[in-house]
Amino acid sequence: MYLVIAGGGRVGAPLASSLVSEGHEVFILDKEESAVDAIQRELGMVASVGDATVLRSLNDAGTARAAAFIAVTDSDEDNLAACQLARNNFDVPKTIATVRDPENAELFERVGIDLVVSSTDLVLANLATALPAHPLIRLMPLADRTEELVTLKIPEAGSVVGRKLSEVTLPYGASIVLLINSEGRRKNLTEDPEIQAEDEVVALSPTNTTDELWEVLTELR
Amino acid sequence: MNVIIIGSGNVGSNLSRQLTDRGHQVVMIDTDADALRKLPRGRVDSGVIQVLVRDGSLSSALVEAGISNSEVLIAATGNDPLNGLIAQKAKEMFNVAKVVTAVKDTALHSMYESMGIDTVNKSESVTGQLMQSITGEQD
Repeated sequence: MYLVIAGGGRVGAPLASSLVSEGHEVFILDKEESAVDAIQRELGMVASVGDATVLRSLNDAGTARAAAFIAVTDSDEDNLAACQLARNNFDVPKTIATVRDPENAELFERVGIDLVVSSTDLVLANLATALPAHPLIRLMPLADRTEELVTLKIPEAGSVVGRKLSEVTLPYGASIVLLINSEGRRKNLTEDPEIQAEDEVVALSPTNTTDELWEVLTELR
Repeated sequence: MNVIIIGSGNVGSNLSRQLTDRGHQVVMIDTDADALRKLPRGRVDSGVIQVLVRDGSLSSALVEAGISNSEVLIAATGNDPLNGLIAQKAKEMFNVAKVVTAVKDTALHSMYESMGIDTVNKSESVTGQLMQSITGEQD
């Protein structure tokens, strides 16, 4: 697959090398000569100095034959403009962008960017998994961010411990899709299993009631 | 009308003058407090031009500027992609009736136009074009 990447910095450079090692053909645009030099030393002549929000640079990068356009500069506005130009002027079938500011993720999705990755969300999710408390981790936004897939762990002294699944009232629209015990075994939801301490819950939740879901499932006795 | 302008450079400050001349109310947002200090003092003191030292690409800044009660938003930061992002945010996330921006680059210019954002080019008499676009009058 031929892929054009805007931004050859901390995200773009390692992304480019891993795509190349998977057998893809890439081309990277970056405004900084030093970034381009570094990529050329590692991967050869697959990068050039250019501004991905300028049509000519996109044209020279062969954007017209790209299967996907990936914008990972550290500027949200440049990522949006570059993806939109790639889509509008070169008919690139798939556009992917990172956002630095999480509030821009929803805008990017609404205006048609196919995949939006919020670096802040990823960092937060990773940090959360490392914490000893019982945080909620957002796995994936669904249905234009009106719903989301989340995971959390039932606390040792949780008020729901020992109760059957059917006895727990979840917020309207929320449902548990997976219940995994502390040994990593999946519980059969059709058998209305009992919730135990340290169970991992994967749930589908309307985004605006996720806080309530977390409270119901992690409230202490 | 209530008008929000992002970017207190030449274009933005000229517009704020002309709009307030015609009795409109302006909120000017800029990250640079010095740029805001160059606005006509009397109009800032009397409150017909309100100033906000914030990053106007943030929703919280737009809310603070009263975007829900604003009929017009003008993105005039001097950075084309940033103007494009702010304009799309105003349109998509806040349903502002009229969104106008000044964009130099011709490809971005026609793309934003096709999205229903009033786009004027930066080369000549931007202020005049913008005024015409906002008020429907010739300057």
